Amino acid sequence: MAHAATALARRDRRFGLMLSAPGLAVLLAVVAFPLVFIIFTSFYDYTLLNPTHDTFNGIDNYREALDDAYLPAAIWTTLKFVAASVIIEFIIGMTVALALNSITRFKDFYYLILLAPLLVNPVVVGLLWRMLLHTELGIVNYLLNSFGLPSVNWLGDADTAFWTVVMVDIWHQVSFMAILLLAGLASLPREPYEAARMDGASALSCFIHITLPLMRPVIIVAVLLRLIFALKTFDIIFIMTKGGPGTATDLVSYFIYRAAFFGLDIGRAAAMSVALLVFVIALTTYLYRYMRSLR
Amino acid sequence: MADIQLTGVSKIYGGNVTAVDSIDLEIRDGEFMVLLGPSGCGKSTTLRMISGLEEISGGELRIGGRLMNDVDPADRDLAIVFQNYALYPHMTVGSNLAFGLKLRKVPKPEIEARIRRTADMLGIGELLHRKPRELSGGQQQRVAVGRALVREPVAFLLDEPLSNLDAKLRAAMRTELIKLHHELGTTIVHVTHDQVEAMTMGERICIMRNGKIVQLGAPLEVYRNPVDTFVAGFLASPPMNLIDARLSEAGATVELGAEVSLAIPEGHRAALASHHNKAVVFGIRPEDIYAEPMDGAMAELDVTVVALEALGPETVLISRLPGGKEIATRMGRNFHARVGSAQRLYVDMNAMHAFNPDGGRAIAMLRA
Repeated sequence: MAHAATALARRDRRFGLMLSAPGLAVLLAVVAFPLVFIIFTSFYDYTLLNPTHDTFNGIDNYREALDDAYLPAAIWTTLKFVAASVIIEFIIGMTVALALNSITRFKDFYYLILLAPLLVNPVVVGLLWRMLLHTELGIVNYLLNSFGLPSVNWLGDADTAFWTVVMVDIWHQVSFMAILLLAGLASLPREPYEAARMDGASALSCFIHITLPLMRPVIIVAVLLRLIFALKTFDIIFIMTKGGPGTATDLVSYFIYRAAFFGLDIGRAAAMSVALLVFVIALTTYLYRYMRSLR
Repeated sequence: MADIQLTGVSKIYGGNVTAVDSIDLEIRDGEFMVLLGPSGCGKSTTLRMISGLEEISGGELRIGGRLMNDVDPADRDLAIVFQNYALYPHMTVGSNLAFGLKLRKVPKPEIEARIRRTADMLGIGELLHRKPRELSGGQQQRVAVGRALVREPVAFLLDEPLSNLDAKLRAAMRTELIKLHHELGTTIVHVTHDQVEAMTMGERICIMRNGKIVQLGAPLEVYRNPVDTFVAGFLASPPMNLIDARLSEAGATVELGAEVSLAIPEGHRAALASHHNKAVVFGIRPEDIYAEPMDGAMAELDVTVVALEALGPETVLISRLPGGKEIATRMGRNFHARVGSAQRLYVDMNAMHAFNPDGGRAIAMLRA
């Protein structure tokens, strides 16, 4: 009997492996291979002028990257960008989710509006906003002017450009947060709220004492996902500011891109990519553990 | 003081679905009132309107004389125990009990004293540091009751609190709630679809159907004199046998089909005077039919045995009348009969009921 069961299990496993093989092969080709290649390259003097793995130089690429005078600024800008966009997205997303959770009519319609930005390619989002925010020709400044307000140099001024990029990222990504949180809210049990109403809880204390604690797992997932995405932000920077003006919006991913395709130093860019990957993994692990411990 | 008074209270959903239809009900201070009925009869909705969780569409609700229609649930000073307990899943048992008191700004030492008292009363002192998911169903139930008790409200509202428990635990909790009511003397409104709960727990029971109150009274009073076939067929298990019948021309016998004719005792004839030669629904409880003749007005009934349900303390005999109608009879635990065999039963005609076939209203009879 036991023998038959194991034979069956073995056949099941083989069948499962067969079904997942094509998918695994694709993943291997497009994820595992580049990853291994990057890690490998990060230990070689590999430039676009000499694209070979001839010269092994150990951790020189890493040391060089760390010595780069501009890297700390890029890291700092990235952290500011991530913190600003994720915090604001969480606040707006939660507000929108709470509002949508309490309505019953036209829900599908609002969902559609919410989903629309998510469906747009980031490059298109960047181009769209670059046009809308154009200093002379953009509709935003036109509207400001028609209310008697002065034009704003959205992407040309160092201080403004950072917040402009944050704003566009929020516009593009906030629905993701809102929809995840809304799904969480919709699945909360109704009864504790009724018990709380009988216990005399106001809407605010219901939110603080019931909604937030019950939503913790969903909030953790939503914030972590956005955190990871935000750390890797590249497309809208590439389209809208190219890291400028100056280095005002020079996020790490764009910094790496420049090292690779302007500096032509693939080895160094690879080293920074690996470092960024390790950092993202470490950060998410830490945050995940920390947030899980808050119960 | 917390008598609860409902005057013409209605609940209408979406403008056309009437869940509760203009009911009048007075629950006395300190009373244990049971709202009983099948699902969808409006009993839970009534309770939720009293609690304030459901808005009242029409009529007046007064608690302790004060009009409560538009008072926030928190300010009605009522506590509710939900069917699925509705504990706060992320809080410990202690925090669950304390939550309502904290919100009401009860001083901390008093909160602790009240929690200790309640926990002792319910035997949940050991569980105060646990989370609800670490408790069994029965323990969660106790905590839910505790959360209501600790508030010391003017009345408790229980919304089918026992229906998620297994049979043994349910019986134990039933007894415990009765004891608690004796100790506290607080008004309790208990909603249930379980007629055993209603009979054993309620000082009065209010039977509802289709959003209306069908009958209100002490359990035994309702058992003895059901106002219609619905109540007769709902209360007790097995419920009253209801058989389409016809009174004889002189009114001396009731005919259950062509072959069966039972003599009506003198005492009941006057009440049935206006139904001579008319169709009636004849009602007899399974416990008023015997295997042996007893004292009193016994009528013989010849039946065919269909099934025997041996419950231990008693055996329920299901048998078929000559007309094909099946009836239930409660027999002693030692009763035996072969399925398919003929059996003679003896009906205590003094205990008979009669109902109008049209609408099912009871025809009032004098009873000793």
